[in-house]
Amino acid sequence: MEKLPLRITVNGQPYELCVKPKTLLVEVIRDHLGLTGTKRGCNSGACGACTVLVNGVSVKSCSVLALQVDGAEILTVEGLAQGEKLHPLQKAFLDEGAYQCGFCTPGMLMSAKALLDENPKPTREEIREGIHGNLCRCTGYNSIVRAIAAVAEGKYEEGE
Amino acid sequence: MKYVVIDTPLHNIDGPAKVTGAAQYTFDITLPNMLYGKILRSPHPHAKILNIETSKAERLIGVKAVVTGKDTLGVKQGIWRRYKELCDEEILAREKVRYIGEPVAAVAAVDEDVAEEALSLIEVEYEPLPAVFDPMEAIKEGAPQIHEGVERNINVTRHIEWGDVDEGFKQADYIREDWFKVSGQAHVCMETHCAVASFGHDGKLTVWTSTQSPYYIQVLLAWTLGLKESDVRVISRYVGGGFGSKFELDSAQFCAALLSMKLRRPVKIVLTREEEFTATKRRTPMYYYVKTGVKKDGTFVAKECRVFTDGGAYTSMGATALYLTGFFQSFPYKWPSYRYDGYRVYTNTMPSSAMRGFGAPQATFVSEVQIDMIAEDLGIDPIEIRRKNGMTPNYEVPGQATIRSCGLHQCLDKIEEWIKSRGKLPPNRGIGIAAYGFMSGGIFNWFDTPYAFSAAMVKINIDGKVDLYVGAQDMGQGANTTLSMICAEELGVRLEDIRLHTADTAVAPVDLGAWGSRETLMAGNAVKMAAAEAKRQLLEFAAAKLGPNIVYDLDIKDRWVHLVARPERGLSYYEVVRDAIRGRDGQPIIGRGHYTPHRKGMISPAYSFGVQAVEAEVDPETGKITLLNVVTAHDCGQVINPLGVRGQLEGAIAMAAGYGFTEDLPMDNGKILNPNLVDYKILRATDMPETEVIEIPTYEPEGPFGAKEAGEGLTNPTAAALANAVYNAVGVRIKELPVTAEKVLRALKEKKEGKKKEG
Amino acid sequence: MKDFQYHKATTVQEALHFLSQYGAEGKIIAGGQSLLILMRQGLVAPEHVIDIKGVKELDYIRFDEKEGLFIGATTTHRSIEKSLLLREKYEVLVQMERKLATIQTRNWGTIGGNLCHADPAGDPAPVLIALGADLKLGKERGERKVSLEEFSVDYYETVLEEDEMLLEIQVPVPPARTATVYEKFTIIDSDMAIVSVAASITAGDDGGCKGARIVLGGAAPVPMRARKAEEMLVGEKLKDELLEEVGRAAAEESEPISDIHASEEYKRELIRVLTKRMVRRAWEKAIQR
Repeated sequence: MEKLPLRITVNGQPYELCVKPKTLLVEVIRDHLGLTGTKRGCNSGACGACTVLVNGVSVKSCSVLALQVDGAEILTVEGLAQGEKLHPLQKAFLDEGAYQCGFCTPGMLMSAKALLDENPKPTREEIREGIHGNLCRCTGYNSIVRAIAAVAEGKYEEGE
Repeated sequence: MKYVVIDTPLHNIDGPAKVTGAAQYTFDITLPNMLYGKILRSPHPHAKILNIETSKAERLIGVKAVVTGKDTLGVKQGIWRRYKELCDEEILAREKVRYIGEPVAAVAAVDEDVAEEALSLIEVEYEPLPAVFDPMEAIKEGAPQIHEGVERNINVTRHIEWGDVDEGFKQADYIREDWFKVSGQAHVCMETHCAVASFGHDGKLTVWTSTQSPYYIQVLLAWTLGLKESDVRVISRYVGGGFGSKFELDSAQFCAALLSMKLRRPVKIVLTREEEFTATKRRTPMYYYVKTGVKKDGTFVAKECRVFTDGGAYTSMGATALYLTGFFQSFPYKWPSYRYDGYRVYTNTMPSSAMRGFGAPQATFVSEVQIDMIAEDLGIDPIEIRRKNGMTPNYEVPGQATIRSCGLHQCLDKIEEWIKSRGKLPPNRGIGIAAYGFMSGGIFNWFDTPYAFSAAMVKINIDGKVDLYVGAQDMGQGANTTLSMICAEELGVRLEDIRLHTADTAVAPVDLGAWGSRETLMAGNAVKMAAAEAKRQLLEFAAAKLGPNIVYDLDIKDRWVHLVARPERGLSYYEVVRDAIRGRDGQPIIGRGHYTPHRKGMISPAYSFGVQAVEAEVDPETGKITLLNVVTAHDCGQVINPLGVRGQLEGAIAMAAGYGFTEDLPMDNGKILNPNLVDYKILRATDMPETEVIEIPTYEPEGPFGAKEAGEGLTNPTAAALANAVYNAVGVRIKELPVTAEKVLRALKEKKEGKKKEG
Repeated sequence: MKDFQYHKATTVQEALHFLSQYGAEGKIIAGGQSLLILMRQGLVAPEHVIDIKGVKELDYIRFDEKEGLFIGATTTHRSIEKSLLLREKYEVLVQMERKLATIQTRNWGTIGGNLCHADPAGDPAPVLIALGADLKLGKERGERKVSLEEFSVDYYETVLEEDEMLLEIQVPVPPARTATVYEKFTIIDSDMAIVSVAASITAGDDGGCKGARIVLGGAAPVPMRARKAEEMLVGEKLKDELLEEVGRAAAEESEPISDIHASEEYKRELIRVLTKRMVRRAWEKAIQR
């Protein structure tokens, strides 16, 4: 099948690619661009390990055709830290130990970021709902909830 | 004891790599010139393989090789190497397939799509055989024989006994007999099984894989492929979950290696989520019969149990699960007499093996539910009956084990306190409890390793940085951090001074791997010994400088080498290191350590304990169960890695609660009906209640700094506590896992009808 | 996944034109949250895929005091969930969306895609049918209107013709003193419904039931109206015994089948209980209006 052009910006970097129509966004991110932070955990769009932000909104990149996001801005886990400066969520995850095997962590961070971008002061219940789409088999979720709550409470504000 | 490093909330050392997406899992690895592999699997639960025609597949453009059992040495492998009759699995079947999903061929091609297409071009001629799916059917006379020479499909039997059970029952005032059925469970690691194998022209094989035991995989690959162990290198730096599913040789590893050997090119195989559900291994389902005799004041007198486990098609680690379930059925109580007979039965289903708890969650469900029933029958408080019979420090399980540290009673006290604090509960709500004990690594060497069970090496460099070499595997449970902390504490430096080298059989010393909750105690002891040895060499040099009197001790704490009695008199660690290295002909300081349990009973050198309370609400019209609170008091000896322990506890609750009421693997004629993450239901963030952890510190003499396990035992109690909570909420007792809403509602209806009949 | 020819539409006209050309061997993709899973599992392998995700013309939520609610087919679930307008005028839609699948699915998936996928256990259809929704379907040659109740004909099958697509969902203004509620039964939170019930009750001035719509999800090959149960309600006053009877009637007329998640018997029981509860909830809300 003929390849079609795809222009996307990923973590602030513009790319021009040529992809087969059936190419999934996660395949562009992982296989074409080599950004393997984003993971795949299932074939049914159920686990959320592939979560990235498209124009600020969280999606499962395994369930999005790459060509559908032509012209969009994608943010993956690799785009969270600014040089050596970690994103507050990353700092919180480190402090709380909000990961164990770490495979779900990139997707979890992206969902957490999307949550806080939209709702900077979520309740505990809202935090749980915010990461409902991301499966984790290791942590039992509670450390992740605590980490997100800590960021929401302003523990990682600049200058502190 | 106040510690500088251990028992402080330090960051997991793999944290930065994991939260930035930099951690490279096997799933992420690509190598130059790499091919992609796919595996063809049997659609039949039991069949002879008459012929496999691979030519069409081989001719497909992009396909580089196709292999079948004929391309292997036909080695029947298994983990129980000491018992050859239990090594029964070829991985790539040659003559017969014994479960739906068993590999029969594998393909290497330029991409996954081509490999997938090639599978559809392989023609396998099967002669289906009669199959059997239930262990109680499989042991009947005339049932299809799954393995040659194995009568009535009885794969393994186990017997554990002490005291005189029959006499005990005569002495008992009250006897209960119950049947229970406990289910299997899928591990659902977020990273599926995968391997990248690269066999070079130098005759050496390197395999990157997601595993809990690089050493086991190294040995098993060498064995099955006819290579020298030392020519096989296994690398597993980041592993996306294990839970017991990843310390045996799996189809991804074996087929990738086989294909790579043929092609002299790297081959990557990643199992799909569906293959993960249908063609790996699962928790062992069991039929459980228990007969228990007690005195009327609740004192335990005798227990007898008989268990039939559904072993699936191969032995795998199922023999261990059979043994452990029988042993932990007695935990954590003092039984004057006990008798267990276990039968592992082959069936034509996915093999049953190890999963977190390893037979103990099954045992705990049965034991703790029955104890609640007995307590109710006799009118005794459920905490009281457990208190009356609970193990205490230095208790000896006759002929089996010596319990050294044991904080069980403190755990009971704390849980009793919590329950009281909840006051009177509203209708349809109940609190259930369960007590457990678990092993910290096993003493058995059925793998037949000549090596120490765990080993470590510490190397101190001129800049004071410490290289720590351990074979112990971190699969997410935090072993890397825990062991580095032990090293830092013992050596007297900080966690950031430790640079860890692990997960590479070419670099790290042998360790049996992360299973049976052995890493903290066993690898921890090895690390402590290595660090102590290195420290001793430093202190020799410091002694010369500090000139302590013979009675004065030297130690290192927080990079300060000092006299213990006069800590203000000391030297910088860095200075001592420089002196020591110079003083030894410029050689870095090296300390070696190892650990193998000796004379520590039949099971484990040490045991963790705990009591868990689950508060749940049941909707009496639908049977739906909602978890409200889970409180756990547990004793893992000395906590080393507090963030790690808390995480392990919360994760264990989610997994064990799933086992209790949402997870199941229904099958139809050997075919798993829900092999995906939509139909197989694990808890999500909104299902998980708040959890409270109460640490009961004890000191375990056998463990490093007094530490014991804290990752697996915590999976034991939740299903039982949940079932007991449901009973206390709405008065129905479900003795079959999972405790589903449908079962609860049916039981409620039967109870209502029963009342109507009586009334 | 088998590859295909990709056609991106940016207007409705373009989409309809592509459909007329490729509809026979083609499929429309909007959010693809249902379609891509089917394609990746090899259950569906279209030669052509017409991408309408970018058809902004169909992304809208409009309300008119007389005409009612109009939702464009490519409106995402998340837009519906977050719509202040809907929270005020059709709160049940917001509540339903909050428990639909996951946030990621709702961010990208569309209401139109969901309805055209026609999963009888899907959440939107029972609610929209209870609200009396109609659908506007279009092909290059023209448009037609179909009631949502008649849109699904079997599991995953609708009346859509090969060259036809869903354009708009139209929901009438509810009669005065009407309340619509929805609940699904799941084992874990926000999961696919095992069964679900949407109930819409219109209360008379005396508090009696003037009108009732009860729609069952996961109880038949398509979302079904529990008509016998509805008939029992009209003209009656709110009473416990009546609700018990209505629940039983709904359970009896439903056609659930056993699967790995629940037996037929259990599903009927759940329908009975949920119907009872939803009718009560809707009725009590309606009386307060």
